[in-house]
Parts: sequence; C-alpha cells; structure tokens
Amino acid sequence: MRIRWARAGVRLLGGTALGALTAVADLAFVLVAAPLLPLRSPRFVTAGARWLTGVERRRLGLEDVGEYGDRRALAYLAVRWPVGLLGGGALFLLAYGAVTATGAVADWLSGGRPDGMAPTVPIVAYLTTVGVVLLFLDLAGLAAVVTLERRLGRRLLGPDDRELMRRRIAELATSRAGIVEAVDAERRRIERDLHDGLQQRLVALAMLLGRARRNGSDDLYRQAHDEAQRAVEELREVAWRVYPAALDELGLAEALATVAERSPVPVRLRCDLPVRPAPQVETAAYFTVREAVTNAAKHAGATLVDVAVTAPDTMVIVRITDDGTGGADPGGSGLTGLARRIAALDGRFTVTSPPGGPTVVEAVLPCA
Amino acid sequence: MRVILAEDSTLLREGLVRLLAEEGHEVVAATADADALLAAVDADPPDVTVVDVRMPPTHTDEGLRAALEIRRRHPGVGVLVLSQYVEKRYATELLSSDTQGVGYLLKDRVAQVQEFLDALERVGAGGAAFDPEVVRQLLARTTHVDPLSHLTARERDVLSHMAQGHTNASIAAQLYISQSAVEKHINAIFDKLRLPSDGGYSRRVLAILRYLGS
Repeated sequence: MRIRWARAGVRLLGGTALGALTAVADLAFVLVAAPLLPLRSPRFVTAGARWLTGVERRRLGLEDVGEYGDRRALAYLAVRWPVGLLGGGALFLLAYGAVTATGAVADWLSGGRPDGMAPTVPIVAYLTTVGVVLLFLDLAGLAAVVTLERRLGRRLLGPDDRELMRRRIAELATSRAGIVEAVDAERRRIERDLHDGLQQRLVALAMLLGRARRNGSDDLYRQAHDEAQRAVEELREVAWRVYPAALDELGLAEALATVAERSPVPVRLRCDLPVRPAPQVETAAYFTVREAVTNAAKHAGATLVDVAVTAPDTMVIVRITDDGTGGADPGGSGLTGLARRIAALDGRFTVTSPPGGPTVVEAVLPCA
Repeated sequence: MRVILAEDSTLLREGLVRLLAEEGHEVVAATADADALLAAVDADPPDVTVVDVRMPPTHTDEGLRAALEIRRRHPGVGVLVLSQYVEKRYATELLSSDTQGVGYLLKDRVAQVQEFLDALERVGAGGAAFDPEVVRQLLARTTHVDPLSHLTARERDVLSHMAQGHTNASIAAQLYISQSAVEKHINAIFDKLRLPSDGGYSRRVLAILRYLGS
C-alpha cells in the first residue's frame, strides 16, 4: 500500500515535470509552425506535430484514443502547452516551499532567527498551519493539472462526433451483412436437415411400402408403419430445431428447461428473470444456450454444463460454463452465427475456451 | 445382375440391399462413401453401380465424381446416379464420355420400385435411364430451341420418352401407337435434328441426350 502511494507520487511529480519540459518544446514548435500553416503544412510540421503528440500520449497513457489527423495534433499542442507550464509552475512552488521551510527549520535549529522571528509556540504553529495549507493547495493543483491534461487529450485527440458516427455506421453495416449471412447459413442447415434426414426416411418408407405391395408381406407393412412413426418424430425434431414454439408461448425459462431435458449431458439451469425480455432477446439467449450446450456435449466431452441467465439493470446476461476439454473454435459456423445474431442486437458475445477447458460462453444482451 | 451400391444413409442403403436381393439381384458390396465405392468396383467390377451424388466428406458431388471415375476406369460397368435434385451439369458430365450404360434418377424415384428396377435393368444392360424430370429440364434449357421447334407434338413425346431411355416397344406401349410408328417418328427426329442415325438403339439414345445437354 505504502509502496503504491510512493510510486503514484513519484509518477505524479515526474510526469508533471516532464509535461512542463515538453510544454516548452510544444510552445516552441507551435510558434515555429503556426506561421507556416497557410503554406499547406510542410512535412516537418506534420511529422513534428505527430511526434510530439505521440510523446504526450505515451506520457498520459492515452494509447487508446485511436487515430487523429495532423491538424488535430497541432491544435492539441497549441492548447496543451499552457497546461503543461501550469504544472511546471505548481512544481516550482512546491520546490520553493520545501526549500524555504527546510531553510527556516535549519536556521532555528542552529540558533538563528530567520526574518527576525523567534521559534515561539504561536509563530511555529502559525507557520506550520500556513505551510500545510499551501502544500495541500499545491498538491491539489498538481492533481488538477494531470486530470486536465488527460481530459484535454481525450477531448482533442479522441474520436469526435463525426468519427463516432462513422464507426457506428461501419458497425451497423457489418452486423447487418452478418445477419443476412446468418440467415442464409441457417437456411442451408435446415435444407440439410430436411434432405439428409427426413427425405431419406420418407424415401426409405416409400420403398418399404413398394416392396410390401410387391410381396404382399405383412411384416414389411409393419416395418413401414414403424418407419412412418419415426418419420413423424423426426419431423417434430427438425421443427423444434428450426424454432421451438414453446419459446413464444411459455417463455425463455420453459424453453431452456426443454433444452436441459434433451441434453445428453446434465445441465444445471438457473434462470432469474423478473420480467420477460423482448422476443428477439429471448430468441438470442435461447439459441446461445442451445448452441453452447450442444457443443459442450458433442465436442468438449463435458460431464456438467452450468447455465445462468440473469438480468441486472437493463441487460440480460447468459453465461454457459462447461467442464469439458475446451479448445472451442469461435470461427465455427454455429458460434459465428450466434455472434452475428448478438451483434445485431448491440450485444456482446465472448467465448473463452483454453485448451483443457473450461469453456465459458457469455452473451450480454441490452434490453433498453 | 451384380450390383454395387454407394449410399451414405444407412436406412436407404439397407432398404436398397433388401429390395435388390428380393428381386434376385446380387449385391456385391454396399458402401457409404466414394472411396469405398471405387475400391469395391476396382476389386470386383459389377454389372452396374448405384451411386448417391451427395456423400461424405463434403456432401456435395463426390458421388458424381466417383461415377465419372468408374466410367473412365471400367467402361463396361453401368452407372446409375441418384440425386436429390435435378442438376443439368450432372447429366451432361455423365454423358460426356462415349460409353454405354448410364442413368440419372431423382432419388425419390427409388420409391417407385418398378420404375427404379426397370431403370437399373436398362443401365445394367448397357442402355440409358434418365429421370423424366431430368429430360424435361434438358428439353427446357437446351440451346437447340430452333431445330426442336420443327418437331411435331407427337415427335416431341417420342423424343422425351426416348431420352428417358425407354425402348421402342416400351414407347409404343406408353403412347398407344405401333412400334413401326415409333420408328418412323425417331427417324424423323434424327433427320430434323441432323443427327447421325447409325449405331445401335442405345447409342442413338445417348446421341439424343448429348445433343440436348450440349
């Protein structure tokens, strides 16, 4: 704890001192560069502005602000140098105060009388009080300079409204295309389900009936009857995989209970939803759980799957944890489809699945 | 007839094996993928193979690739391809080599047991068997619209039946006309389409199919 405070203090003082030095450099640069601006910014101006801004960014730990143009870098330098000098001033006052106080104390200890003042109790008490107040004000000023610097950097270098809008549009375009792809992938899967499953079964059934008619065999008719029943079951299965009707009628908890029931691996299900979320949120949550449970059983060799659905604030969080072998591929078709579905709802989807497990799939779905 | 099957659906494969056995055919091997099929045919070439187009691993057209390979390696082995849906490309590829004994049926046709068995017999005997739906699409999408427009309605009927691989006798029975009338129509068709009418009947059927698919 003490070490952390000391380190933070050193960083504060060192950073501010460095900031004051670079403020001088920034000021000098701005004074040289400003008259050249009408000349369509020569190369050394833009390069210099970017370099100096880069130094400030590293000093302030603002690596995450993203891209900014040459002009914005220059504008930032022009605005930030007074703040840097302010920090330097505060540092100077701190040093001046420290030297003055130390000098006075040393003088008293050696029997002297600085400014003709004897070390009487009222005088020492008065000076100590004033000194502590000044020290506090100076430190507060230093902290304010650091805050101001960071805020200035974010404001002037970070994305502006236009940039934020551009990013949002790019995001929307991606998620929209993603949804179209997810729909197509889903259709392809349904087609395969129908062709490879149900159609084969029906052709086999028709063939059985054909053979039964040719041979007049009761046994073949009986087999055909059984086969017809299996085809009906398969049809119900396919329909359930396409969309579980229970989700609309009975809600997420009931539909998830069916998933748990049908899973070959035991599923521990906690579904804590005070109010029913919007249908599209329910659907996304449902398919997230089903895909994750299927994967846990099919690929991870899990022996227990834990499903938790909670609704803090205006969100629904779905979290599926299994004790399987991990190594899930987030680029697989099932998980990609889910990611797209969730992105379209402005949700967040994460899969952590280190080799050896455990796999955690989490979807955070906003429901404002 | 000696038959080798390739069908990845266990249910259908077993059904086909039983059906063929009941009809007195000998099923030499029943395989679930293209590689096993090729190995089985190489080991002991049958009279005819029945091949599903869509098989593992990619579930696209590996069955067709295998069928074409069999036609290349064993020209004497008939190849009857079963497909989920009609694809003109499959038909034209199957017809691309000048060998006999070739067929392309929609998979559902297996349910019409008699039609399926007839088709199998024809292919095994070196003839052709093309699904009516395949022929309909070949006719609908052919580039030879102009020469075909000179055919009479009756000649188009005969052409369509012939393209399915039916014999003259069978065409005559289905269209309620005499065999000599069928022959007359066929000669007229070959004249109008300017196709050489020499060679045996099955050669002429293949010539017609190739013409439609080209």
